[in-house]
Amino acid sequence: MNETADKLFAQIPSVEVAGGHILKGTRGDRYIWGIVVLLALISLLVVYSATGSLAYKMYQGNNEVYLFRQLSFIVLGFVVIYFLHRINYTLYSRISLILYLISVPLLIYTLFFGAEINDGSRWIKLPVINMTIQTSDFARLALFMYLSRQLSRKQEVIKDFKKAFIPLIVPVFITCGLIMPANLSNALLTGATSILLLFIGRVSVKHILLVIAIALIPILLIIGVAVSTHNANTENKAANNSLAQSMQSVGRFGTWVSRVQSFMYAEEQEIPYQVQQSNIAIANGGILFGLGPGNSRQRNFLPQAYNDFIYAIIIEEYGLLGGAFVMFIYLIFLFRCIRVFRRCPYAFGAFLALGLSFTLVIQAVANMAVNVNIVPVTGVTLPLISMGGSSFLFTCASIGIVLSVARNLEQMEGRQMAAAAKANEQVV
Amino acid sequence: MDVKKDITWRVNMAYLAVVLVCLVIFGKAVYIQQMQGTMWRNLSDSLHLKMMDVEADRGTIYSADGQMLSTSVPQYDIYIDFGADGLREHDGELFKANLDTLSLCLANLFKDKTKGGYKAILNKGYKEKDRYSLLKRKVSFSDYQELKKFPLVRLGKNKSGFIAINTNVRLNPYQLLAFRTIGLERENAKKIGLEQAYDSLLRGKEGKRLVRFIAGGVAVPVDDDYEVEPENGEDIVSTIDTRIQEISENALLDMMQQSQSKYGTCIVMETATGQIKAIANLGQQANGSYWEDYNYALRATEPGSTIKLATLLSVLSEGRTSINDLVEVGSTGNAFVGVRNVNDAERAPKPIMTVKECFAHSSNVGFSKIAYNTFAGQPSKYIQYLHQYRMDTVSGIDLKGEDKPKLAKVSKSHEGLSELETMSFGYSLQVTPMQTLTLYNAIANNGKMVKPYLISAVQQDGKLVKQFNPVVLTDNFCTPSVIKAAQECMSAVVTEGTAKGIFINTPYKVAGKTGTAHVADGKYGYSDGIYLASFVGYFPADKPRYTCIVVIRTNPYAALHYGGQLAAPVFKKIADRLYTMFVQSDDMQYTTTTINDSIPYLYTGKKSDIQQIMEIVKMPYKDSSLEKTDMAYMRKENAKPVMNGVTIDKKTMPQLNGMTLKDAVYLCENIGMKINVKGKGKVISQSYLPGQPIIKGLTVNIELN
Repeated sequence: MNETADKLFAQIPSVEVAGGHILKGTRGDRYIWGIVVLLALISLLVVYSATGSLAYKMYQGNNEVYLFRQLSFIVLGFVVIYFLHRINYTLYSRISLILYLISVPLLIYTLFFGAEINDGSRWIKLPVINMTIQTSDFARLALFMYLSRQLSRKQEVIKDFKKAFIPLIVPVFITCGLIMPANLSNALLTGATSILLLFIGRVSVKHILLVIAIALIPILLIIGVAVSTHNANTENKAANNSLAQSMQSVGRFGTWVSRVQSFMYAEEQEIPYQVQQSNIAIANGGILFGLGPGNSRQRNFLPQAYNDFIYAIIIEEYGLLGGAFVMFIYLIFLFRCIRVFRRCPYAFGAFLALGLSFTLVIQAVANMAVNVNIVPVTGVTLPLISMGGSSFLFTCASIGIVLSVARNLEQMEGRQMAAAAKANEQVV
Repeated sequence: MDVKKDITWRVNMAYLAVVLVCLVIFGKAVYIQQMQGTMWRNLSDSLHLKMMDVEADRGTIYSADGQMLSTSVPQYDIYIDFGADGLREHDGELFKANLDTLSLCLANLFKDKTKGGYKAILNKGYKEKDRYSLLKRKVSFSDYQELKKFPLVRLGKNKSGFIAINTNVRLNPYQLLAFRTIGLERENAKKIGLEQAYDSLLRGKEGKRLVRFIAGGVAVPVDDDYEVEPENGEDIVSTIDTRIQEISENALLDMMQQSQSKYGTCIVMETATGQIKAIANLGQQANGSYWEDYNYALRATEPGSTIKLATLLSVLSEGRTSINDLVEVGSTGNAFVGVRNVNDAERAPKPIMTVKECFAHSSNVGFSKIAYNTFAGQPSKYIQYLHQYRMDTVSGIDLKGEDKPKLAKVSKSHEGLSELETMSFGYSLQVTPMQTLTLYNAIANNGKMVKPYLISAVQQDGKLVKQFNPVVLTDNFCTPSVIKAAQECMSAVVTEGTAKGIFINTPYKVAGKTGTAHVADGKYGYSDGIYLASFVGYFPADKPRYTCIVVIRTNPYAALHYGGQLAAPVFKKIADRLYTMFVQSDDMQYTTTTINDSIPYLYTGKKSDIQQIMEIVKMPYKDSSLEKTDMAYMRKENAKPVMNGVTIDKKTMPQLNGMTLKDAVYLCENIGMKINVKGKGKVISQSYLPGQPIIKGLTVNIELN
């Protein structure tokens, strides 16, 4: 039972068996359920509106195709959530190891044989159900589950470099390193979230700073190349930077550099088209009410309006108020997940709830930051709202797992209350 | 420290960080919307909104018989964007997969290149990533519809990169027919003909509307209203009758080809109204063919003898001369008259002739003598008469670019009188064929001179907007007796004069005048043997319906050059056809004859088939068909079966009566017409009557019984 067991903070290192009881009727945190339903509804509305131009291209303007597609994704997502939340979360501890071990070769496979979209090899096609999945989404879920497991198991020696830090940081480096060639932004996001999780999991700040310093090297390299080649381009001194230029032609390195350049030198260069269109969308929406549901104009010009740039469309159609509301919902979601952590006496459950909810919300924040042009353009979806696909289902999976923790808590608290009541009765 | 507490403060910090980032994001959104909002919205408008001109549909020019002479049809220029995302994604998978079939389809559709040729073009464009590669220009609407169904193309613009630029082009369905008169509407060149004269009506008014560009480069109107509503051009109905035009054009063309002349023109005018029913202009091209290259009908030249009508009218109006007065012209063909020597183009039959005979035989000597005798005392009087007959002013027809006539200056001096004499038989002045025709028409119209015109009505959406009525220029420009005398003289031209023998067998009478002028034109002098042969007249002489002028200019030293030889036969050919088609049918009394003694029969079919049948049934018959004919009909003549040939000339609708369905279909398909059948048996009626010009693609209803 060692694998499926979770640890009470109070009783570390003692082990208590919390699993094995699946009660009917409990549904985890009611607020989280409500938030998921609310986000799904918003997603239906916005995706239906934003797919106009896509529907025009693919189905001669038949938008309903995408409405029903999204609806079916939502239904499927809810099935996933329900199914996963019925499972005793302690089971995920063992599963997390298996999932992580699967994810690594899968990422390698994707890197070499995956389908290319926008020059990045990020997708693989599942043979039977004929759906493309972004393997990095899967790998991230596996990584955070595995980190939660490792954090809970290493709490006693958490400050130790060899015993705790190395086993924790190596998986992070492997996963991020494998995601990076195809999808740098996703790798950075995963890395940042992992570091946050390590911080929360009491890993030594000294060690964390070391990681950050190492991670900064490639970032600084990109920025450096971006700056030098930009100057070279403007001053026409290409010879000086032949190294930088030759590096630019390797893989997606050029894309990263140009994105960083277009972000850094937006004033001088032409503002990237997507940013321009996204800003126009935000400008189109008012403070209280935007253009109204289904009245977006920018959906016709904004690439990926139904996906990466859906937040701009939300502001355009529902105003700043609508944008703030969506933001607020995510914060409530995170707040409720933290509440689960607070109530959770077991380490693995607590880390699971924290890890998965923070990832989700950080992803949402990243998407919104891209939409308002705080960070350079990256392909990050708005969880649960962007048009369905594999990432939608993986988001549902992580919510299902968080709810599973919450459900087990309720069940346990219910038992304790019953026990307390029984004790009181006996006293009386 | 409690582990959980340690974790809790870390979580709280992280949560706070997330909230802070959210606030920053929201702040940025507010900044973009509130601070930079106007800038972005303006940018959006400038990127996506555009005031577009909405082209008004140009009006159609109809003929008097309801055919379209000139109309606008859509036409497409096809470009390919080889940089289209759909085309290039997955390493051009889509392009490569469809390349072969698409090349084949294109080659089959346009037939201008082989499959390999198109493949090479597509491959080259793809390799060079040409974003706007011209594939084919001027693709018709039907071809474009076909093209849209092709593999790759049917996937739409984003996948295939195929771009169609729509333009409206002007189409003259009748091509050569009255081409110069109907005119051209060209984008970058001057318009001509009716297209030019009525451009303001035809053009309509361009509208404006605000459009927003959406996905796929499609422009969508911002709202339903136009900023400025386009006003479609009005249709104009021409007086030109395609049937008369075709008859005239063909008659003229035949003679032009036969005589290899330089240029020729022919105008048919409706006597009573002045409506121009046909106007043909043929000029010889460098390769010897003929084309409507210039409106010769409006070109002023020395008219030659046709001007003698004006001289005749003026001397008769003076009152001192009658048409039966005798004039001595001599027998040498030239004589010294007044102040100069005068030559006759054609030798006079006798030395002393009446004025009428002088007119009929077109004696220059006689006419200069009469003119000199009448006007030598006051030469300006002659000019006054010419002014009265509108010889000094343009005809006023509704076309632009009509040449202004030129008259010589006359005076009592030696030169002035010489000019007077010269003018009296058609030199030293330049008038257009249209002017001459207008004058002759006035005589035919019993003294009422009407203005020639080409447009009878303006229509909008099939409704009459404006009707143009005949314009009377002068009601009584000569006394009735003068008119009558002139008519008599013109009849004499045909019965005994220069046009004698040409109109012998016609069932109608013709009155007219020939003209044969030496031409001095540019590098050519009067002695270079270039002639302007003309014939102008009206028919039927007793009840004029049409006035017609034919003018043909020869090349140097042409064998045929007399007005009677060149122009009059063209006139006759036209008059013959018009008489049967329009004049006779109006006047004819239809009678039904019933043959009681036996049943008449009429079998029409392929000649060889009929011959075969007759041989099989061993029935003697008389073959009176020409050797060349393909089709023939068999009928009873004097109680014997006689086979007559049916000539199919590919220009006029054949008679289908008596044919079997098979033969009728064969015949009509052969000449490019479609057939709609009712009933069975033999053809008893056809909706498009025999003798009418063939219109390719027209559907003819036939009834069988």
